[in-house]
Amino acid sequence: MIELLLLPALIIFGLSFVKSKKVHKLLAFASFLILLPTIALFELPKPYHLLGDYLVADTLNVYILFVSSIVGIGVALALLTLNKHVRVSRKAYRRFYRFFAIFWIGLIFSILSNNMGIYWIGLELATLSTVYMIKTNHSNAAHKEAWNYMIVGAIAISLILFGIILIYASAKPILGEDAMNFNLLLAHAKEIKSPFLFEIGFAIVSVGMFVKMGFFPMNLWLANIERASFYPVAALFSGILESAVIVGFFRFSKIAMEVNYDHLFTFVFIYAILTIFIVAFLIFRTKDFMRLFSLSGVEHMALIALFWVSGGTFAALLHFGAHAFLKPALFLSTGVLESQGKYKIAGALRGYTGKKGTLFWFLVSLFLLAVISLPPSPMFFSELYGFGAMIDTAKSSHHLLAMLGAIFLLLVLLSIIFYKFIDVYQSMKYEGKEYQKKVYASELIALMIFALGLVGLMLPSTLTYLKGI
Amino acid sequence: MVDFFIGLFLASLITALFTTRLYRLLNWYAFNSLTLGILALLIGTKLDDNAMLITGVVTIIIKAIGIPYFLKSFSQKFHFVRQIQPEIKVQYAIMLIPAILVFTFYLAEPITHMIANNSNYVAISISSLFLSLLLMMEHKNIAPKIVGFLSMENSLFLLGITATDGMPMLVELGIFFDLLMAIVVINLLFNREHEEELNND
Repeated sequence: MIELLLLPALIIFGLSFVKSKKVHKLLAFASFLILLPTIALFELPKPYHLLGDYLVADTLNVYILFVSSIVGIGVALALLTLNKHVRVSRKAYRRFYRFFAIFWIGLIFSILSNNMGIYWIGLELATLSTVYMIKTNHSNAAHKEAWNYMIVGAIAISLILFGIILIYASAKPILGEDAMNFNLLLAHAKEIKSPFLFEIGFAIVSVGMFVKMGFFPMNLWLANIERASFYPVAALFSGILESAVIVGFFRFSKIAMEVNYDHLFTFVFIYAILTIFIVAFLIFRTKDFMRLFSLSGVEHMALIALFWVSGGTFAALLHFGAHAFLKPALFLSTGVLESQGKYKIAGALRGYTGKKGTLFWFLVSLFLLAVISLPPSPMFFSELYGFGAMIDTAKSSHHLLAMLGAIFLLLVLLSIIFYKFIDVYQSMKYEGKEYQKKVYASELIALMIFALGLVGLMLPSTLTYLKGI
Repeated sequence: MVDFFIGLFLASLITALFTTRLYRLLNWYAFNSLTLGILALLIGTKLDDNAMLITGVVTIIIKAIGIPYFLKSFSQKFHFVRQIQPEIKVQYAIMLIPAILVFTFYLAEPITHMIANNSNYVAISISSLFLSLLLMMEHKNIAPKIVGFLSMENSLFLLGITATDGMPMLVELGIFFDLLMAIVVINLLFNREHEEELNND
């Protein structure tokens, strides 16, 4: 099964060396092959051992892998017309695909990993391959940000490794070399003799992950990188890389919940609220699409972490799925919205003609309104369930009033973001000059795949599956 | 013997912080990696752990010989600036480095109680981590920043050896693989820059 999962990425990697012009289409269609093994994984009994105890498919990571695979397909389709919107040489194009394939391999390992070490190796592989994808854009800003990503990304990933070593050291006396195994660690979490050492390790791992996701105090670094690179890179960051990071956070925090739930909750709660507080005002000040969507992504990841530690597993996973479909869709649409590098928001949704154009602006409008949780967006329901889970958690403690205050603060901050997005939408639709813009079939298909993904999330069978995780 | 090499490990990192020439910095990095490899061999022999012995040999080959060689060849190929003046003045660095050492020993104190073997080495690993971060911060040029990142990886490796008596073999080999991938990416980034410069000319 693991061979089938890696096959599309290996085909893309191999084909990226072929110099023919026609090969691009093959590359896009090769990405569809990932669906076969991913769907098959849903049918297999869980946990399913893909590679001994190292790679294990369970209900959580199969869902995340499926969502990431759909994002991968969408991005591969949108890549077909990258050269129509930006200046990119054929050599750089092929290299982009090559590193996209390595990125994908790294993430498959990370998402399916049941071993802290393998998880880290996959994440590091994905991080390094992204560096070159950023550099595909031949601008000074992209060059600076590629190095910036290399250095800050390396620090973040080193923090994660540092934390993993401390967690491993805390559990090795009871589990030996199996202390790297997530499932075994979870089963024996209460027996760990040095919980303090584990908690320090967990805090450091979390800080590394939070840096990678753009949490406080590194709110703008990711937004700047996404601004400087080509739009598919931003889509890959938000739809796939962040999925791999958050699945790691889910796994580590599940163990930390067993060790000391109060410490975990307080730490993540303060960190997430501080992040959303800062991000809300940064969003209010943004003047371009990329930063707007990127910072909104940080807000979503903070909410997902908050819902997850509050016990709202269903809410966190629904929010995650919606984020993973909406953000890449919006990032990919910026290729058309910003047509030829113009960052103007005003009038970005005007100038579309024909069936393709009409469908494009309709879908983008829907995505923009869905991302701010307007019903029937899955985000509306996930936030309702998430806040409900936060109140339920507070009921069992003596901090119900404090929690209600925190939820009120969050709602105020979310309303700032809501206001900004509505303002942006109105400016896109009713202000500015009208320029003719062209929409290509492949990017429209990509957006439709994401729209179908969102609809799929709201199907009763999907909701039942998510509730069962 | 282990104490002696761990002292050399820390000393080589501190000296690297004061270095103003790129090749000398690469030599100090190679020496730092060599002491790390020897430490892995010594601790591996003491614990009778074959995996750690292999790791020690691989460390010496890849980190003490391979990476410094590649970085040196990159610097010749892409004409790196070889005069690398740290942004932090020497008189301040002399005060800052001992402060970091004392701070990290104090910071690591609760952890060292929980680790059965080599507990002081854990504190040294953590201080090396901070010193590597300082190396990345005190230079504006990209080459010393890369050396800082590699030294940080060495510090984590030392932590892995000392705090856990060695990580599983598969994980350590994976970390080496990622390190080689990092070198490939660094090469590509410099290569691109070089090509662009040539095109501009």
